[in-house]
Amino acid sequence: MATVREKGYSHWDGKLTERRFPWWPITRTGILLAFRKKRFKFVFAGSFVPAVVFLVGLYVSERLEDFKAFLQGSDRLLNINPNYFKTYFTNDSLLFLIVLVLGFAAAGLIADDLKHNSLQLYFSRPLRKKDYLLGKMSVIVFFVLILTAVPGLVLLIFKLIFAGSFKFFLDYPWLPLSILGYSALLTVFFSFYVLFLSSLSKNTRYVTILVFMIYIFSDILFGMLSGIFHEPAMALFSIKANLQQTGAFLFGQKLPFAVPAVWSFLILAGICVLSAAVLNRKIRSVEVIK
Amino acid sequence: MTAVIAATHLSKWYGNVLGLNDVSLEIEAGITGLLGPNGAGKSTFMKLITGQMKPNIGTVTVRGRKVWNNPAIFAGIGFCPEHDVFYEDVTGWEFVTGLLRFYGYSGSDIKQRAARALDIVELTKDKDRLIRGYSRGMRQRVKFAQAIAHDPEIIVLDEPLSGLDPLGKRKLIKLIKAFRDEGRTVLVSSHVLPEIEALTSRIVLVHQGKILAQGDIPYIRELIEAHPHMISVRSSDPRALAACFVGDRSIQKMSFAPDGRTFVVETHKRDDFFARLTGVVLEGGIEVEEISSPDDNLQAVFEYLVGK
Amino acid sequence: MTARKSIGEIFGFFFFLGRRTGKTRVFALLGLFPVILAFVVRVVFHGRSGDMAAVFTEILMVFLLQFYIVILSLFYGTSVVAEEIEGRTLSYLITRPLPKPAIVLGKYAAYALLMFLMVAVSLSLSFFILNTGRLADPSLYLTFIGYLGVLGLGILAYTAFFTFLGAVLKRAILVGLVFGFGWENVIQYFPGSTQKFSIVHYLKSVLPYRPTGGGGGRLALLLFKLEPTAPAVAVLMLAVVAGALLALACWFFRMKEYLYEE
Repeated sequence: MATVREKGYSHWDGKLTERRFPWWPITRTGILLAFRKKRFKFVFAGSFVPAVVFLVGLYVSERLEDFKAFLQGSDRLLNINPNYFKTYFTNDSLLFLIVLVLGFAAAGLIADDLKHNSLQLYFSRPLRKKDYLLGKMSVIVFFVLILTAVPGLVLLIFKLIFAGSFKFFLDYPWLPLSILGYSALLTVFFSFYVLFLSSLSKNTRYVTILVFMIYIFSDILFGMLSGIFHEPAMALFSIKANLQQTGAFLFGQKLPFAVPAVWSFLILAGICVLSAAVLNRKIRSVEVIK
Repeated sequence: MTAVIAATHLSKWYGNVLGLNDVSLEIEAGITGLLGPNGAGKSTFMKLITGQMKPNIGTVTVRGRKVWNNPAIFAGIGFCPEHDVFYEDVTGWEFVTGLLRFYGYSGSDIKQRAARALDIVELTKDKDRLIRGYSRGMRQRVKFAQAIAHDPEIIVLDEPLSGLDPLGKRKLIKLIKAFRDEGRTVLVSSHVLPEIEALTSRIVLVHQGKILAQGDIPYIRELIEAHPHMISVRSSDPRALAACFVGDRSIQKMSFAPDGRTFVVETHKRDDFFARLTGVVLEGGIEVEEISSPDDNLQAVFEYLVGK
Repeated sequence: MTARKSIGEIFGFFFFLGRRTGKTRVFALLGLFPVILAFVVRVVFHGRSGDMAAVFTEILMVFLLQFYIVILSLFYGTSVVAEEIEGRTLSYLITRPLPKPAIVLGKYAAYALLMFLMVAVSLSLSFFILNTGRLADPSLYLTFIGYLGVLGLGILAYTAFFTFLGAVLKRAILVGLVFGFGWENVIQYFPGSTQKFSIVHYLKSVLPYRPTGGGGGRLALLLFKLEPTAPAVAVLMLAVVAGALLALACWFFRMKEYLYEE
């Protein structure tokens, strides 16, 4: 017989039964709640640092000969000058991490809008194409600057603090401009690069792969062509190499590859221009189905 | 009648959110409408009975067999999902025949069934076009085609009329009724009340994960004792007629419509009112043009139940 | 329908679908790059077969083994489960009389064959373009089959791993990238048995060309720091790893609930 139920507070109506491990939900909830606290995640990650340091120690112990050579050169390595900053900004790991972060955070910026047909929603508001692109780019700008300009300036400030004087700044007064200039270059390039790829597909997973694939492939291509033809100009095929060339130029350091830096600037600019042209074509309020 | 689909103390959580709250329900052959607003739990229930989700507590069976991880039962079930999604770059024909392959039919059988299903939904002419070039209504119809192509005895349709124009809706409603006439079981969900009303009188009202009511609309209406029935009477002299009922204690409320010819009463005792009305009309000689129950429809029932 | 027939039907359907997508065309084009490079090298190093052979083993094979099959396996392996959830087409499959493991295995087989064909075309053309001076040598064909076998095993192993990741994790692609281009590229150079914790170690152990004494000669780049495992053991390990990961993927797919993102 059907009954009519009163709408009321929505508590569970079933019968409580005993679980096999009744303490487990309490434990699970407690752990999950801890991880919800933002600061805790950092603290928790940081607490593994000693373990990682000791793990590195184990590795070093297996490769002592290699590390003896490294230590002999350390006075050269730890000489703080603009080259030190250039090395931070242009090292392979930082550039790879930028690509990793953007693959995680930015691959779906336009792809998701294409997938859900959201462009019509955006452009039915008083929003122009450039506002839309600026908004999307700002997301990338935020992440790239957090990884480049902010730590770069912080390193400079801490250098001054640890040194106890402004001598370093007086010796290299253009260094802050180099830091900001190169950060801006990385920001602009990666903004166009990632948004261009994001506009090519509705599938965020595929875009993430493209972001990595093109970056890594360009470097592999450079390696392969360099191995065959032994020409320094092959570095121009590599996105990473071009970024490192322009970085060295902006920090007034010796260029890593025997190719004029202007070519690297032109190649990066060319990629930005191509990306802008494709974005202009792809971002429209009406989808054309062929 | 034995239940085709049976849910017993079915509960489902999404994290801390209770999606389905201790639902026990039996669905018999014929068309059953699952009605409720968005977020009520209809799709959750549909997903549980089609094996896409596992109940946290309770069981759901189809013809006495458990659903979760029991692919054999799907030979007799057809499901039309709510979402407007398809495999990329396929034509309507490729889509339907592709999915038919998974039933173990021979090549010629697949072609025959696909042709029949596409003919039923009137997509034969467009079967070789890519689905991404179809209109919304055509996409809905091809989804329906894949659900019926293998001739299932149970068809589960999640918002099947969504996106269809009025003509398309009529055709599909006619189709669903034809399935019922063939003895199949059809479970249809919708949040649009007139659609469900057009399909069936057997409904299950869902709200906030609970079954608020189930049965025929008038039957459910009768059960709502807390809410008086509305009866509208149009006559040549509504005020004279109304005056005869002012002293009647079973009348809770009386009002007059702007047209000046209708008065509306709310009463707990509908049968008593009708009996008295007959007497008043005969004795008073007042002409009655029309009697109707404005709230004897699904919309009103639902609104009463959800307290709007 | 039996499990075997189900796998066969899933295989047929997704092999058909996979061939047509734009993404497959992009990946196939990527595979033509070593062919173009081989052709260019052929023109540049005309007559110097030793140089051309070295280009193949030290450059093109590195591209194929450590980049191309990894990127292909990453995309297609994670697609086995992830594309059904992202595309919300999982409902079409699991409301069919198909055992859930059959869906995983059928799609895995379909994509593995698709990738193998792309890799085979790329390898065949680039290998023979660069070894035209040795076509009369029967050992060349054995070497070719050896390379094809290594790449095939690599596809099977990597795709199994990424299929497992796709079945278990929401953000499988990123973990996959870190594994494929981080872990695999770094750990293979670790001393001792640490390098045995990478798939590429076992693949390199099975390479058809291995000068005695380890790392040196024409395969210097590929075999750098390699402490090879015996080939038979390496093949067995790859098969066991692929089988175990696939079994786990099937188990997770069967037990797990996949909810679409709203």
